[in-house]
Amino acid sequence: MRTFSELEMDALTEAFNLSLGEAASTFSAIVREEIELSVPTIEIVSREELTGRLESAQPAGATERLCRINQHFCAAGGFQTDALLLFPEHGSLEIVRRMLGDDTAIEHITELEQDALAEIGNIIINSCMSSLASLFGSEMHGSLPRVQSRTVHTLLDDKAATDVILVARIGMSMAAHNLHGFVLFIMDVPSIEHFMDRVSRYFKLQLHDTGERV
Amino acid sequence: MDCCHLLPDSVDMGLIMVDGEGRIRLWNRWIEERTGRLASQVRGVTLAEAFGPHVDPRIALVVREALDFGWSARLSHALHPMPLPLYPPGGGQVERMKQSIDITPVQGEGGPRCLLQVRDVTETVRREALLKQQSRQLRLDLLRLSQAQVELQRSEMRFRELARQAPAGLFEADAEACCTFLNERCEQILGHSLENVAGTPWINLLPVSEQARVRAIWCLAVASATRFAEEFRYVGPDGESRWIRAEAGPQRDGNDRISGFVGTLLDVTEFHERATRNEFRANHDGLTSLLNRDRFERHLRAAISGAREVADRMALLFIDLNDFKGINDTHGHHAGDTVLKTIAARVRRVLRSEDIVARYGGDEFAVLLNGTGDPETLDAILFKLHQAVGLPINLGHCHVRVGCAIGVSIYPDHGSDPLSLLTHADKAMYAAKRARYAKNDPIAHPSAQI
Repeated sequence: MRTFSELEMDALTEAFNLSLGEAASTFSAIVREEIELSVPTIEIVSREELTGRLESAQPAGATERLCRINQHFCAAGGFQTDALLLFPEHGSLEIVRRMLGDDTAIEHITELEQDALAEIGNIIINSCMSSLASLFGSEMHGSLPRVQSRTVHTLLDDKAATDVILVARIGMSMAAHNLHGFVLFIMDVPSIEHFMDRVSRYFKLQLHDTGERV
Repeated sequence: MDCCHLLPDSVDMGLIMVDGEGRIRLWNRWIEERTGRLASQVRGVTLAEAFGPHVDPRIALVVREALDFGWSARLSHALHPMPLPLYPPGGGQVERMKQSIDITPVQGEGGPRCLLQVRDVTETVRREALLKQQSRQLRLDLLRLSQAQVELQRSEMRFRELARQAPAGLFEADAEACCTFLNERCEQILGHSLENVAGTPWINLLPVSEQARVRAIWCLAVASATRFAEEFRYVGPDGESRWIRAEAGPQRDGNDRISGFVGTLLDVTEFHERATRNEFRANHDGLTSLLNRDRFERHLRAAISGAREVADRMALLFIDLNDFKGINDTHGHHAGDTVLKTIAARVRRVLRSEDIVARYGGDEFAVLLNGTGDPETLDAILFKLHQAVGLPINLGHCHVRVGCAIGVSIYPDHGSDPLSLLTHADKAMYAAKRARYAKNDPIAHPSAQI
């Protein structure tokens, strides 16, 4: 499987950062509080690798659940991807409750909180998708967000083992809260090939336009 | 075809569809009922025209995104409580209905369209607010409970420490008198640990002679829910006998029934012994341990009324030692005391246990013989007394003998009240003394050293 060049990675990171900047200002306007969203890293990994990495990031014996917000996107030409936003459940609940001005500690997420998380995921995923869409230059049709609470172990059980994942690690900070999560784009092999191809063509074009050499 | 027309009006949610130009193409009955505007009135106009200026600006933004980029979006109630001016049907346009809206792109034959699905979340909001309020209440209750628990633990520790240090025995027992708590002092007094006695009523630990009495008092206290207070004799496992005073107050259970008693146990042996000693001293002569004059006269009064009731006879004797003063003068007061103690013991030994003997004065003794009125018996007793008194007395360095004069008065022959009986006996005693001197009776003469 081919990977991105360092230059392509940097450019993708930058593109995501710009999109998330938009998402952050949308949030800030909604909750009237300053919110920062950033993408520090982007990489391409397999499903097993990502699951293994998430498991090892947890303290031994921890059973922290992850909040998973899922939207499906498809574009003309057979390209399709599942966009996933992952946050530790406890932290994301704290953020939502803070946004709602309600700190009542209920162990399980309520229906309205789940809806709010869906909207937050929706804003972040759509904004990231705007970066990808501009690479494709075509429309990406997106489904409504779906919120699920899962353990790391079963997080990606519904995805094929052969799928490849574009992972963007994102940070979200609001007042005293700092939350780290991931945006994942899960693609089947034809889609990732298609995607890589588009990315490389796009950047070649960009470099060509700016007169730089690869 | 009919079905397609009926469907939007049959669902329990609001449906609005706008075309690529942003003009309304579908406006279902659900929306009609909550806006007061019919589909026919809004068809072909924009959302802004249909709803007026009071629409959340984000709606226009996400509708545009759906039409231009094909993205779906959700406007949650939490972040956008009431984005559209929708009102509960029939409720007047007072307060907007709480909503959650999904915006999805739809690809139709006539180009891109956008569908808005509006859900009424009023009931969900109410339910969740209730849930959170209950959760807060529960948290508060839990906090209070844990604080109360901490306080209870502290109070329990305080009680345990106080109970450990208390000089009195502290106990708790159920209504059947089985102990459920004993402090260290209590275990010490009883000579048993709690686990040894837990299953048995503590009254069973008492001497058999005490059990019935104490049990009756305990049962009475349980039945009347009053304080239990009693003194009783107790023999510990070490065989040592002691006096114990128990005092306890009733405890009630949740149904206001007596569940047991909590109280104190005190070892009052010393107090008891002192009281017994004091009582003995008050009623007895310190030297001879015989009754004193005061106590004797009380016995006499009681005996007279007793004898009067059963028409019995009784005899009062006055015994006066002859020349006791001489012994005192010759051998000293210590010798005099020995003589008095010896005579007291001899007189006591000669008589029956129910006869009452007292030291009446310096060398005078008084005797009360119940039921003894006939002359023969009386003579025999007088003879034995004379004999006993007249035996030699060992003073250590020598022996002495004393004689005595005895005066007798009989109830009811010589009087029916203490004074007349005492006067008669006194006179008779002096008469006897004079008669013995006259006869030069050796025993009646001043004591002779042997």
